[in-house]
Amino acid sequence: MTQILIDNRKFNAEEGETILEVARRNQIDIPTLCHHEALEAVGACRLCTVEITGEDWNGSTKLVSACLYPVEEGLIVQTRSEGVLRLRQTVLDLLMARCPESTVIRDLATQHGQVTEYQQFTDGSKCIMCYLCVRACAKLGCHAISAVNRGTLKEVAPPFHEHAESCVGCGTCATICPTGHIEMVDTAETRTIWKREFEFVTCKVCGEPLITKAYRDYALENRRLPNDYYTVCSACKKSELSGHFARLSL
Amino acid sequence: MAAGPAVDMKAIEGVLGNHPRGATDALVHLLQDIQEAVNYLPEEAIRAAADHLEVPLGKVYAVATFYKAFSLKPRGKTIVKVCLGTTCHIRGAPVVVEDFQHGLGIGPGETTSDMKYTLEVVNCVGACALAPVVIAGEKYLADVKPGTILKRLSKGK
Ligand code: FES
Ligand code: FES
Repeated sequence: MTQILIDNRKFNAEEGETILEVARRNQIDIPTLCHHEALEAVGACRLCTVEITGEDWNGSTKLVSACLYPVEEGLIVQTRSEGVLRLRQTVLDLLMARCPESTVIRDLATQHGQVTEYQQFTDGSKCIMCYLCVRACAKLGCHAISAVNRGTLKEVAPPFHEHAESCVGCGTCATICPTGHIEMVDTAETRTIWKREFEFVTCKVCGEPLITKAYRDYALENRRLPNDYYTVCSACKKSELSGHFARLSL
Repeated sequence: MAAGPAVDMKAIEGVLGNHPRGATDALVHLLQDIQEAVNYLPEEAIRAAADHLEVPLGKVYAVATFYKAFSLKPRGKTIVKVCLGTTCHIRGAPVVVEDFQHGLGIGPGETTSDMKYTLEVVNCVGACALAPVVIAGEKYLADVKPGTILKRLSKGK
């Protein structure tokens, strides 16, 4: 057990926890874009930057990303120091130059009083290169998309910029994307994403789309699930169960 | 991907054979070997490499597109590099690039339709005394005067 100070308040932390984890657990707000608790942090957006120091640091401080920095005994963290706020503004300045079209970025920028405006090189993209989509897709085992090219041409794309062959249409990339960059179109029967169209399995009870057929087959093959796992949607499962319990209590 | 010349799968398989299956950390090395064998990285080769090393295709594609040294487009028999470093630039290298545009109809990164030449521009190659410098394959052509490069290329000096 370690003790650290965040914004002049004492908190207990486990060895190996990151500053962000300790802060979040104690309802201290640190803005993030590229972080997701189910995925390993990569420190791509730098929005979570905080200022740290220690008793014996002779007054010197350091700006580090909270999502990556593991706590140590006696660490002193400031989440709203002048330096931190200035850096956040700069980060948002740059993000605004890159994707002014994104409402998420624009709102964050207004909220943090983003000041200067760098020249925008807008190609209409809302991608901030946080790679949450790529990381999530890999974690799910599909590896359908990756970060291709480099420098200003860097982008997230399927192999050869064609349709994503190993995609199963789970939609995780579109859902996890903080800025809504990834295009996914759902109708009652189909989902279109990464230039591919997937047919939905519909709920046996209410008829609502439940999961793509490809994702169902992939999940049944790779995870230990009963074969009829994806026949009824969770809302219907719930109401079925609640009815069941209601009858029991009579 | 643009339809290139027929891909020499034999050569590619030969290269794959030199690397153990599933040797994920040999990825860059393997891609280099393939490019050396067939001059660029055809889609078939990238797929074969992914298969052979048991690396997800997306990852191989990411690596292949990241490094400037890899080309996914077929390249000419001779790769011609025009130096555009400061010295070469001052001594007229941009005109040499134009000579290619006029004479062969190719700009930087492009290949002649007969697959003879691919033009690339590079920054200072450390031979400023020879400026402007053109490197054709392995050969260094020094002091390239305007309007002379194509003749010198065909003569090879
Ligand atoms: S959340 Fe820490 S760098 Fe993006
Ligand atoms: S500038 Fe061309 S060799 Fe130095």
